[in-house]
Amino acid sequence: MAFLDRTARSLLLSELVSGMWLTLSYMFKPKATLNYPYEKGPISPRFKGEHALRRYPNGEERCIACKLCEAVCPAQAITIEAEPRDDGSRRTSRYDIDMTKCIYCGLCEEACPVDAIVEGPNFEFSTETREELMYNKDKLLSNGDRWEPELARRLELDAPYR
Amino acid sequence: MAKVTIDGIEVEVPNGSNVLQACEAAGIEVPRFCYHERLSVAGNCRMCLVEIEKAPPKPFASCAYPVNDGMVVHTDTPMVRAARRGVMEFLLINHPLDCPICDQGGECDLQDQSVGFGGDSSRYLENKHAVANPNFGPLVKATMTRCIHCTRCIRFSSEIAGVPEMGATARGENMLVGTYVEKALSSELSGNLIDICPVGALTSKPYAFAARPWELKKTDSVDVLDAVGSNIRIDSRGAEVLRILPRLNEDVNEEWLADKSRFALDGLKRRRLDSAWVKKDGKLTKASWPDAFAAIADKLAGVAGDRIGAIAGDLADAESMVALKDLLASLGSTNLDARQDGAALDVSRRDFYSFNTSIAGLEEADAILLIGTNPRHEAPLINARIRKRVLAGGLKIASIGPAADLTYKVQTIGTSPADIAGLLDGSNAFAQVLAAAKKPVIIVGQGALARADGAAVLAAAWKLAAQVGALTPEWHGFNVLHTAAARVGALDVGFASGKTLAQMLGGGVDVLWLLGADEFDTAAIGPNTFVIYQGHHGDAGAARADVILPGVAYTEKEGTYVNTEGRVQRGALAVFGPGEAREDWKIIRAFSAMIDKPLPYDTLEQVRARLVAVNPVFDRVDHLPRFGCSDLTGPAGDAQALSSVPFTAKIANYYMTDPISRASATMAACTDAHQSPSLAAE
Amino acid sequence: MHAFLAPYIEPYLGAYLTTLIVVGIQALLIVVPVLIFMAYLTYAERKVLGAMQRRVGPNVVGPFGLFQPFADAIKMLTKETVIPAGASKFLFILAPMLTFSLAVIGWAVIPVNDGWSIANINVGVLYLFAVSSLGVYGVIIAGWASNSKYAFLGALRSAAQMVSYEVSMGFIIVTVLLCVGSLNLNDVVLAQKHIWFCIPLFPLMVIYFISVLAETNRSPFDIPEGESEIVAGFFVEYSSMSFALFFLGEYTNMILMSGLTTILFLGGWLPPFGIEPFTWIPGPIWFIAKICFVLFFFLWTRATFPRYRYDQLMRLGWKVFLPFSLVYLVLVAGVLMVMGWLPHVV
Repeated sequence: MAFLDRTARSLLLSELVSGMWLTLSYMFKPKATLNYPYEKGPISPRFKGEHALRRYPNGEERCIACKLCEAVCPAQAITIEAEPRDDGSRRTSRYDIDMTKCIYCGLCEEACPVDAIVEGPNFEFSTETREELMYNKDKLLSNGDRWEPELARRLELDAPYR
Repeated sequence: MAKVTIDGIEVEVPNGSNVLQACEAAGIEVPRFCYHERLSVAGNCRMCLVEIEKAPPKPFASCAYPVNDGMVVHTDTPMVRAARRGVMEFLLINHPLDCPICDQGGECDLQDQSVGFGGDSSRYLENKHAVANPNFGPLVKATMTRCIHCTRCIRFSSEIAGVPEMGATARGENMLVGTYVEKALSSELSGNLIDICPVGALTSKPYAFAARPWELKKTDSVDVLDAVGSNIRIDSRGAEVLRILPRLNEDVNEEWLADKSRFALDGLKRRRLDSAWVKKDGKLTKASWPDAFAAIADKLAGVAGDRIGAIAGDLADAESMVALKDLLASLGSTNLDARQDGAALDVSRRDFYSFNTSIAGLEEADAILLIGTNPRHEAPLINARIRKRVLAGGLKIASIGPAADLTYKVQTIGTSPADIAGLLDGSNAFAQVLAAAKKPVIIVGQGALARADGAAVLAAAWKLAAQVGALTPEWHGFNVLHTAAARVGALDVGFASGKTLAQMLGGGVDVLWLLGADEFDTAAIGPNTFVIYQGHHGDAGAARADVILPGVAYTEKEGTYVNTEGRVQRGALAVFGPGEAREDWKIIRAFSAMIDKPLPYDTLEQVRARLVAVNPVFDRVDHLPRFGCSDLTGPAGDAQALSSVPFTAKIANYYMTDPISRASATMAACTDAHQSPSLAAE
Repeated sequence: MHAFLAPYIEPYLGAYLTTLIVVGIQALLIVVPVLIFMAYLTYAERKVLGAMQRRVGPNVVGPFGLFQPFADAIKMLTKETVIPAGASKFLFILAPMLTFSLAVIGWAVIPVNDGWSIANINVGVLYLFAVSSLGVYGVIIAGWASNSKYAFLGALRSAAQMVSYEVSMGFIIVTVLLCVGSLNLNDVVLAQKHIWFCIPLFPLMVIYFISVLAETNRSPFDIPEGESEIVAGFFVEYSSMSFALFFLGEYTNMILMSGLTTILFLGGWLPPFGIEPFTWIPGPIWFIAKICFVLFFFLWTRATFPRYRYDQLMRLGWKVFLPFSLVYLVLVAGVLMVMGWLPHVV
């Protein structure tokens, strides 16, 4: 009986038909597509997008050149050079991220003892040339200035889980 | 010997050892901050706690507890762990949490040991203690808030360096380590405080914030800024040497390093020669290698061999010197000299010009006579070794020469060569001391030899050594203390023949090849002499040159150096030289090919084989056998022709003795701090 | 059309030139709509696949993305044609041209309405069969000329696949022809006046459709392309217009095969049941609508089924379809013979 049943199903292509029925039924379901440049999906506070260097509210840059992000970076995308600033404090003289090397793992953000380097919500930073993706300190600081309200809110939301 | 059981491992240690040493012998790590094997025991950090069986049931500070035969020690019991965790918590109470901005981060004993033996969180909620940062001069950066009061620095300066400037004021939490009155550290060994500090309280000022230890490439090499031949580790990143640290070698520098060797490295980045230059119409202009070689070849054509000379500088490696020697031989010249200061060294026997007792051998000496030398400036680590011998007790030490603070008490028994005569004829009381000594040592400095009666001083010193029994088949007590790293190597390869330096100057030769030679009066070179300068810094020699060939400095080449003892050591390449600069022996080899007289070696191995052929001592790398003296024949020189002109100091400014340290901003800052006119007037 | 135009131009140009002009116009009338059809087939494919995957598909270029095919065409035209260094240059360029021309010349015998074909020849079925079999040459040549292992693998797979499925396709067509009694495509359609062959020969139509999928290298039988295994198969080295020609050829072939399916099984231009109001609609519209219906199945299967493994494909062709169609041929022939339903050859 089972043999007959199986043979009949096979000859009548029941599996093919049920499969095609499924796809056909999906054809009339509502679309999941977002109209991207005009609509955007929700982003988690932990979303790892474009990097930014933050400042303290008084305008002082947070980064203290401890080089932990450079050390932890699995892609070796970060290059830091440091020297004493005129006031004797430890600051970077160079902070470069090669965004073409970066794998957006977020370890730099986690390693940072002062929440200076963060990965922000911005994922729309494509460029026309490769060179533009070699971020330097100025670019990262200006990212920080631009996204600061968003960055601060994200850190606050994520703080209970840190 | 005492038999001690550590965690079940039985070891035998000498009587009088402490428990910590016994643990080390058993290969068990005991955490410690204040204990250091070369310093006295302080026992104030309490980190090295262990448990001892059949003793009061409490943890013992192992560094301060002597061993007994049959002692049973446990280093990993719950009590020990709890005790260490407690000590660590106390230490961290006032230690700031600024590891991210601390230069010690990554190589910090406190970091490592708190991970290994500390707790996982802090219970301390009060305010932390903080103090102002004192200024310890241009070399050492002090952040005393980080200090854990181990007093290693205090003990180092008073015991090893012999400059007891550091101390502690107040007690308990308020204890403050410093210099009492704020001042720059004046010891030539002050850089070692940085190594010895277990935390980030004392860090290197020139290296401040420059790099993290994990970024650095570490290259084991040899120092050339004095003639001690200290073993060093060159830490570099990319094309830049960032710091130099000492490497352990008990026979040479123990684990210390003199400040010049440690901090002059920024001179490697300034005033460098990075391309060839040729003088055209009285002006040096940049040129390519072939052009520079062509200019030399043109000049050499038709010059008689006897009219060509070469002078080797103080930083030259043996490979380049032997190559230059062979090149000149192929041109028919034997006019070679490496004695830029004109020191009357007799090169006929090796023990006439080397430090025969050996540095480690100084610890066996029981009487030392210094002639025309200030070892504190000429070789700070040899001075530290003498001081170590002084502290061990029973050493008589006297000096003939300018009075100087050598960090230990020295009896000054004269100021001029004539006073040696007093020792020879026994009229000076120290003659009896030397004669009575079992292992007397006589150290002749370059200040005593680089003078008109230098040969006489050398002969007289040898005669004295022979007379007081310093020269026996078991003991060689005659020593020449050099100041130039290249000198003994140069004399070993025979770079002292034909015309002397004085004869080559003033038009004595038509073509003069300077191999990094900057330490003589270049104005004395004859106006028509064609000068080729091969070296790495734009210093005195390059200023007079007609052709400049850019060589590389000691951190940029594989080179063989012979220290003042005659110990053959090899430096290593840590970074590549700037621009067009090339390794010196290769330059000479390339030039020899250009003039169709190619030298018979193409690889470093072949050059080194040639070195061994020239002098078999070059085969004894890193190894120096102790030897006595059985042939008492003295060096040439009339031991009677001693003048009464006082000896002068060979080194006027310890911080600037060579092209590298003269180019160094750090060394300039030290000079400012220590050699300012007000200080010099003292 | 010849009859319509001849009186006006034949006196001036002579018979030969007139025929030439008329055939030229007829060819244009077929080829241009087919190409536009093909362009919108790509659009429809993306829309249908999108819909079945709950996506939108192209919607940016023009209203509802309707100009997308033209944007793609312009892109293709303006790209650089790369000819690999190791390629056989002549064959490399010849292959896409061959593929495209073969796909287009098949249309010469397709009747769009009663008698509306460029060449109403008596061996139309044979001609189409020959032309579609020749298509394998384009693929083989492209794969060989590219001098690339992926392309070569793709070409080999394609050759084996096309040969395998043509056999069973042949038997199915023979079965249909048994029922028709003519190789003329016009006659094939007219023979379905009473009942479309899809009803009595339904199993054959299913097998035929599946074989057509394999013949046109469509999913789930697109192993000659097999982008997950051999990158893009035989046209991996092609770019720009030469790539576009392969693309055009493939889609034109799909339409051609859909047309053939329509003619063989779905009654060509005939309206269903031959009753009003269906008969009010002209035949070409029915023909196009039926082609669209078959093409929708092409897209539908693509959206539904994953790619076959190569050995499964061969097994299906030789061990299932071939015996099945052979048995069916004998069965149909027997039934026709016994029942006396054999068509009378004119």
